[in-house]
Amino acid sequence: MASPVSVYNSNVLDAHISSTSRESLKMELLADVTLLPGEERIIDKDIIYICPFSGAVKGKVLITNYRLYFKSSDADVAVTLDVPLGTISRVEKMGGVSSRGENSYGLDITCKDMRNLRFALKQEGHSRRDIFELLFKHAFPISHGLPLFAYVTQEKYEENGWSVYRPVEELRRQNYELCDTYPAVLAVPFKCKEEDLRRVASFRSRGRIPVLSWIHRENRAAIARCSQPLVGMSGKRNKDDERYLDLIRDANDTAKLTIYDARPNVNAVANKATGGGYEGDEYHNAELVFLDIHNIHVMRESLKKLKDIVYPNVEESHWLSSLESTHWLEHIKLVLSGAIQVADKVSSGNSVVVHCSDGWDRTAQLTSLAMLMLDSHYRTLKGLQVLIEKEWISFGHKFTSRIGHGDKNHADQDRSPIFVQFMDCVWQMSKQFPTAFEFNERLLLTILEHLYSCRFGTFLYNCESAREQNALRQKTVSLWSLVNSKTDVYLNPFYTPESGRVLYPVASMRHLELWVTYYIRWNPRIRQQQSPVEQRYLELLALRDEYIKKLEELRLSDSSRLADDSPGADTSSPSPASSPTRQRHYTHLHTPF
Amino acid sequence: MEFSEHIKTANVEDVVLQQPLHPPSKGTLCITSHHLLFSDREEDSGRQVLLLLRNIDAVEKRATESSGTLVIKCKDLRVLQLEIPGMEQCLNIAQSIETLSCLACVAEMYPFFYRPSNASLRDQWGLSTPERHYTEMEALHERWRLSTVNQDYSVCPSYPPAVIVPKAIGDDALKMAAKFRQGGRFPVLCYYHRKNGMVILRSSQPLTGANRKRCIQDELLLQAAIEGSDKGYIIDTRSAQQAQQARMMGGGFESKSCYSSWKRLHRHMERGKTLQESLIKLVEACGDKSPNMDRWLSKLENSKWLSHVQTALSTAGLLAECVERDGRSVLVHGSEGTGSTLLISTLAQLIMDPSCRTLEGFLTLLEREFVQAGHPFQQRCSHSAFSHARLQQECPVFLLLLDCVWQLWYQFPLALGFSEALLLRLATEAYSSDYGTFLCNSDMERCALQVKGKTHCLFRVLLKPREREQYTNPLYEPNELAIWPSVHPQSLQLWRGFFLRWTQQTLHLELVQEDIRNMVIEWGKLALS
Repeated sequence: MASPVSVYNSNVLDAHISSTSRESLKMELLADVTLLPGEERIIDKDIIYICPFSGAVKGKVLITNYRLYFKSSDADVAVTLDVPLGTISRVEKMGGVSSRGENSYGLDITCKDMRNLRFALKQEGHSRRDIFELLFKHAFPISHGLPLFAYVTQEKYEENGWSVYRPVEELRRQNYELCDTYPAVLAVPFKCKEEDLRRVASFRSRGRIPVLSWIHRENRAAIARCSQPLVGMSGKRNKDDERYLDLIRDANDTAKLTIYDARPNVNAVANKATGGGYEGDEYHNAELVFLDIHNIHVMRESLKKLKDIVYPNVEESHWLSSLESTHWLEHIKLVLSGAIQVADKVSSGNSVVVHCSDGWDRTAQLTSLAMLMLDSHYRTLKGLQVLIEKEWISFGHKFTSRIGHGDKNHADQDRSPIFVQFMDCVWQMSKQFPTAFEFNERLLLTILEHLYSCRFGTFLYNCESAREQNALRQKTVSLWSLVNSKTDVYLNPFYTPESGRVLYPVASMRHLELWVTYYIRWNPRIRQQQSPVEQRYLELLALRDEYIKKLEELRLSDSSRLADDSPGADTSSPSPASSPTRQRHYTHLHTPF
Repeated sequence: MEFSEHIKTANVEDVVLQQPLHPPSKGTLCITSHHLLFSDREEDSGRQVLLLLRNIDAVEKRATESSGTLVIKCKDLRVLQLEIPGMEQCLNIAQSIETLSCLACVAEMYPFFYRPSNASLRDQWGLSTPERHYTEMEALHERWRLSTVNQDYSVCPSYPPAVIVPKAIGDDALKMAAKFRQGGRFPVLCYYHRKNGMVILRSSQPLTGANRKRCIQDELLLQAAIEGSDKGYIIDTRSAQQAQQARMMGGGFESKSCYSSWKRLHRHMERGKTLQESLIKLVEACGDKSPNMDRWLSKLENSKWLSHVQTALSTAGLLAECVERDGRSVLVHGSEGTGSTLLISTLAQLIMDPSCRTLEGFLTLLEREFVQAGHPFQQRCSHSAFSHARLQQECPVFLLLLDCVWQLWYQFPLALGFSEALLLRLATEAYSSDYGTFLCNSDMERCALQVKGKTHCLFRVLLKPREREQYTNPLYEPNELAIWPSVHPQSLQLWRGFFLRWTQQTLHLELVQEDIRNMVIEWGKLALS
């Protein structure tokens, strides 16, 4: 795991050392753990880690208020575990005092990140009682009335990640000011009064009215997102809602508004029974398309099946058909091809509305992926942060419920890897377009690590109002502070900006791959050559920077020479900011979905 | 043969060509002794398609009264469609293609007619020779010698004229040992591991037969190969059961009693027809046009291609492990010693030896371990996955090798000095080529046809400055360590660049690779100037 690149306040650090027990520093095995400012030792113990790859490994475990750290004492089997407690979804006792067999008494820890950890302890003297209780308490602080670590940490960074996303600036970037009709839809109701808007809200599940996500710079086609209409069994109508959608259509003279319902048709119909539903024929000038993406429960079970075939042992004899039977890639395909349809519609000048049931899971996947395809800004390091802040965090993807931060209730049906699936789709796109993204795989892996870690405030809470109430931005550090304080390691040396380009990935099973470096990263036998490649990428970044510098020098000396020869001559040297090697014009991939 | 006899219709106007990644176009089709040439009618489009007839694996005819359609399936997996006005013309064209794409006589093949203006037939042919290989490896001169016992190819028709053998073994003994090995392929040295002085030998199976014949010279030869060490390994690319069965047919294996210093390891590798059928299934699955591509992963699995890749890589890994980690010399053979034997000895060298991982080193390795070592390219690559002809001796061993090398390249993006584009080029050239490199089945045959004097050499061309630049890996960093591939199915990928080559996505990725290479070259030129 990456050590923090924080600007330590020396007072904090000193205080920290004196407050943690001197004893822990004496323990040589654990001496190389760099604790975060604010991190405190809870307990340490001799323990045996039942490693699925190297067998039983003796060592020491250290539990702090942030992490579980294990180091083997046997130099021959160098095993280190460094697991943020936030990653833990379940802690169980394994075996009893009278259990037979070696290493049958201990702890079984299920993690949210595709692994399980088993530890064995001595059977005599209730040796696991204290560690179990303390681990249980600190792994699930919310269930025990304790704060999440993000509220405890004293980390400081040069950059302030909370300032990455400013809604108004972001809208301005999209030329939002020039669009005379859209402010109405987002901020002040167009022609209609507050009251009309309230009536629209009353007809949308949980009041999530259609709002603008993105608008096309040239053709002014818009992506709006919302929740399902509350049609119900009786087929209720709402004139204001109908009018509202028609206003979205009308904003750029789209002939027919396309409403993408992310759900499979049958599920949308079934939702009528619980008061929901979908837009019917009463919405003139609108067409409805179902995208067949399954719900959070299906996705959770699918990833669970995937875990079963990759951890602890990888399925060997029928790998591909087993992978197929998890349907994970099939789901990825459907999400991607849904987003492609949205992007394609918008880029041909038609406005769209996207919703599912509540509009915070599948909808967020679809709008953010479509935006990633349409708008190259989101493919930059900062742009992806904005995209996540905007489409996921501010629009209320329920991170707390989906991840279960600090909550002991591991079987909660609200948990689901929707955001992981989104990151997977981003990864698939970056594989298909190796020069189109400014960031690299390391960024995606880092984001997913901290999705669970609770070290940063970024993925905490379900919605903005809860964040306000808990003073999140004042009291916690943003993940983007970490990322933006040392960007090198997250950059793709081959990134070539192409501002106008729409990316259509191929959403065909043949061109999708399992994200092995994420899902199977714990298996040392599968792991690919990550670190030398990352090292080489850093060298190439340095080489590129040197190149850009020299190019700039050449340009300056050229222009000064030209200025001497003929004042005012225009220099036609390539701009150093955009990589000048790229001359090719791509024919945009047109997509079979 | 007069080629013209087989060309009843040489030119047809108003032919519509459909090919992957391009819109249909109308133009003139022309058939010559070795090529099919299509020229777009729109003059300024300037589009021409020149296809070696040898590249065509199958032609399917669909005729109506007034016109006919030919579906042309190529060995490089491209599928073209021609709509030809006039049924007779269409049938004539099909007939010509069928005959001229499968010329039996090597001397009539295109490499003997290809005369590029920028090259001369007097140019050097090939990258190295057994003599040079021997001279370069001074460390082994103490115990190994270069024997010219096969100078006239009489001892082993599929070996080159010079081979490296233990110094202690004289030519007469070699002749005896050759009689005891299938096809005369007695054990010869193919790799010397500098780090510990261990070697890889390869041969064919011993002809012990049902009555357990022995050959003292063969036993002495192997004993001399591991002199000073107490043990060597034999990797037999057949299962123990297959090796037993081979005895009934006059073949066999090295018994423990006669070869007491050698430990046999059996690793079952599929060969021949099984491999060919696997390729056919895979290509069929890749070409499936149904929109939902139902059960693609199952189809991929059922083709078993990736499991052949896995077996090849893991057997090569085992071989490298014996040499590098156990510090033992190893003899490799299956039955004939010209297929899976060469496959794993080549891969093991790539895994262990950094000098094989440069562009030049890799081509030299292929030349030595496949071309000179007698892989019967002519027989193995005469048809590919589309052919309707009855399978004879076709087998995609070389393609499997390239796929395995691609897996290494994919797992170790920095370790190999060449690019995926090189592997694609080789995969195409092995089946149909302007060059003489992959003609014939052995050095003897190439010598008889004067291939070296009458054709150009592909490997030489690939190393010319302009081509070389195109085939280098921009991320390459020389690395002294062995590169141990992961052979779990999770680590192996379909080689999309080849098997899904004629799709938009693959083309796009090829272009991106090219861009990246140009980028890095340009950065280097300026930044380090």
